[in-house]
Amino acid sequence: MLKIDKVSKSFGGIIATDNVSMELQPNSINALIGPNGAGKTTLFNLITGKIDIDEGQIFIENNNITNLKETDITHLGIARAFQITNIFPTLSVQDSIKVALLAKQYGLNNMWNRFKAHSINNEAESIAKLSGLTKSYNTISSALSHGDQKLLDIALALALKPKVLLLDEPTAGMGPEERWKMIDRIQKLWKKTKMTVLFIEHDMDIVFDIAQNIYVLQQGAIIAEGTPKEIKSNKKVIKAYLGGGKK
Amino acid sequence: MKFLKKDNFHRDAFIGIFVWFFLIIFYHIFPHPGIHDIIQKVFILGLFAMSLNILIGYLGLIAFGHAAFFAAGAYTLGLFLQSNIVTNLGGFSIPMAMILAIMISSALATFIGIICIRLKDIYFSFLTLAFQMLIYSIILALVDITGGDQGLMGGFPKPPFLGIDLGKPFDFYAFTIFISIITIVMLRQLIESPFGYGLRMIRDNSERPASLGFNNQKHKLIAFIIAGSIAGLAGSLQALLDVGAYPEWAFWAKSAEPLFMILLGGMHSFLGPLMGALIFEVLNDFVTANTRYYGLVLGLVILCFVLGLRKGLLDWILIKYYRK
Amino acid sequence: MDIFALFDCIISPACLISQAAGGLKIGMLLFLVASGLTLVFGVLGVINFAHGALYMLGAYFSWQVMSVTGHFGLSVILGSLGVGIFGLLFERTLISRIYNAELLVQILLCYSVVLILDDLVMIIWGDEFLSSVGVPKVFQVPPLFIFDAIIPPFHLAIIGMSFIVGIILWFIMTKTRFGRLVRAAAVNPKMLEALGVNINLIRAGVFMLGSFLAGLGGALAASLSSVVSGMGNSILIESFIVTVIGGMGSISGAFLASLIIGMARSFGAVAMPLFTDGLMFLIMVLVLILRPQGLMGNKKQ
Repeated sequence: MLKIDKVSKSFGGIIATDNVSMELQPNSINALIGPNGAGKTTLFNLITGKIDIDEGQIFIENNNITNLKETDITHLGIARAFQITNIFPTLSVQDSIKVALLAKQYGLNNMWNRFKAHSINNEAESIAKLSGLTKSYNTISSALSHGDQKLLDIALALALKPKVLLLDEPTAGMGPEERWKMIDRIQKLWKKTKMTVLFIEHDMDIVFDIAQNIYVLQQGAIIAEGTPKEIKSNKKVIKAYLGGGKK
Repeated sequence: MKFLKKDNFHRDAFIGIFVWFFLIIFYHIFPHPGIHDIIQKVFILGLFAMSLNILIGYLGLIAFGHAAFFAAGAYTLGLFLQSNIVTNLGGFSIPMAMILAIMISSALATFIGIICIRLKDIYFSFLTLAFQMLIYSIILALVDITGGDQGLMGGFPKPPFLGIDLGKPFDFYAFTIFISIITIVMLRQLIESPFGYGLRMIRDNSERPASLGFNNQKHKLIAFIIAGSIAGLAGSLQALLDVGAYPEWAFWAKSAEPLFMILLGGMHSFLGPLMGALIFEVLNDFVTANTRYYGLVLGLVILCFVLGLRKGLLDWILIKYYRK
Repeated sequence: MDIFALFDCIISPACLISQAAGGLKIGMLLFLVASGLTLVFGVLGVINFAHGALYMLGAYFSWQVMSVTGHFGLSVILGSLGVGIFGLLFERTLISRIYNAELLVQILLCYSVVLILDDLVMIIWGDEFLSSVGVPKVFQVPPLFIFDAIIPPFHLAIIGMSFIVGIILWFIMTKTRFGRLVRAAAVNPKMLEALGVNINLIRAGVFMLGSFLAGLGGALAASLSSVVSGMGNSILIESFIVTVIGGMGSISGAFLASLIIGMARSFGAVAMPLFTDGLMFLIMVLVLILRPQGLMGNKKQ
């Protein structure tokens, strides 16, 4: 589904991404782990087109999306949620999701209908339901709890009906109980939509619990990949990352 | 009255027509030319301020040079009505002049918009201002055409059309308010349409829309052009009112006026700038009648709003009494 | 556009020199004012739309001192200092509230102060313009003749004075502890605060310096032209043009840009008298399009 082929990127003299290759299968749920500064978010930025690739190529469903514009890549089926919540503060949850839905369908050029009464309301409700935001459906985004804001961030990505969903630290800033709730929700929506999911995560228990494949990134390069069982016993990974054991 | 609660175009149009009729009747019940004067001025300047608020309030783009379009509309109408074409078009002159005013401001906004929208934040603001002052200088320099610093001289005819004679105060009053209300109702439709929410989206977060597959720049440009066109319409009405056009309307101070109105009335409510225009005009009238130090009073009022209320009057009223 | 008039002027030493001197005079005076503006923006992040009003106050203050003492030097010094002190009060009471506020709030606040001051000076000094303080006695000497160009020595003095102030400013900013603190504050005020530096003192000091410079410009201007309410508005616009062209926050940029604008105005008045201002705005437009950060500005301002 998503194929990353020997992708590299440097800033100035610093290599941020070093000859990375990955191949994500359709309907798979994968984790990208690695120490801080390993280049995980940078990799996401390369995939989504926020920054240009120096070397290598990226394909989605055999479409070559290397160095296409961010907006084009979005329309080809890749969506992303951000590490630091990236939402629309003055819009309600409902309006935010509607706006995202309409953006994908090129419907925001419409000047003749009324947004509030738009037929897209139904779709928006189901996306909110999928993301667990039904309770706060009419709340203004800035008034949401941190957890709900992260859910909204994901909901906006879901509105694009992506084939590949990239989640950048979806549980960041959450306590243990909230974290599992979030992961539970992610698992639920993955099962329902049958998307290909790639998420960045630091909590190893979560990673080993739900990921089918794990990619380990260190200093911009993939040092290991495999199933949770394989990764747990991988000497390189243990040395580089699992080290003292992450709680 | 359930009909009035529905937020749709029909209701807005109904309210608009109702207000228009109300003001028509008002004209006959209260025959004070001073009040009529204020009302039509409020609508013209309110239109100007509301057009700027598309950019400032809904899009989050601080445009400093908005009066350029106001002046463009005014001069276009003036020059057109001064020209020989009037004798050929006769009764259609004024409608034609106004349409032309809108078209020229529109074209100017397209040109300036394409260049300015590429820049961010303060550079955008300064470039719009630079363009406005450039236009001001051009108006002053082309003395033979524009009359230079004297403004358009010699006046121009206002041939009656469709039974409306803009030379008569009542006709002018009714016409100006009618055009303004139609524009306001259409503007409301724009703001409440998906397009309008696209504006809010960009204002709230200029980075995220790209990751939703949305092209900010095109949207901003269209909004900029629409804002400029409405400002041009307001300018043409002003020119009809004053039977002339003046370079001061292209000076940077003229761009500050709608800014004040947006501050006074509120940038987060649709009619805020209109209310701001009302406050501004009433203040203007009241103060200049009692003292020559209008600047002092206006400055103090603005200071109070900026430091004290921190939001416009209509915004404040709505938050206090309607929103939770 | 009268290209021929311009050409004639350039090939005539008398015209060339006198226009160039005029351009220098305009440019250096502009530099004084604009340096204050760009300094305040670079360090405090505030676009002081009231900067022209401070210039106006400088003119009024120095005129007042002159009419009381009759001493030019004193009028300039006290006038500028007066504006510096006013700037300090202004900063502590109003400007300090809008440091991190959005652009709109900054403009509205500063512009309201301009409106207030424009009327206040009329209330205090009357509506009529006040005649210029005039060339000080010391300089009431016959003009110099350089290649047949008539150059009033006073103008040379002003050019020299502004230049010296510029050098002093450069010295302060680069060689003194205050200057280093100020430049550090421009880059990372929080860090400075964490290191125990009184950031409010620095801010007040910088704004005071900026106001002093504007006041100095106004005080000198009082000797060249009449003093009237609203005289700060045109210098404000020009200062902005200079700041934008030179790069916001860059004093060396302001210097360069002031010279360019000064010359453009001087020679522009020969070639296109009706469009002299327009030329300045055209330059501003071109700079913003081609190099938004200005001649000496950093890319990410």
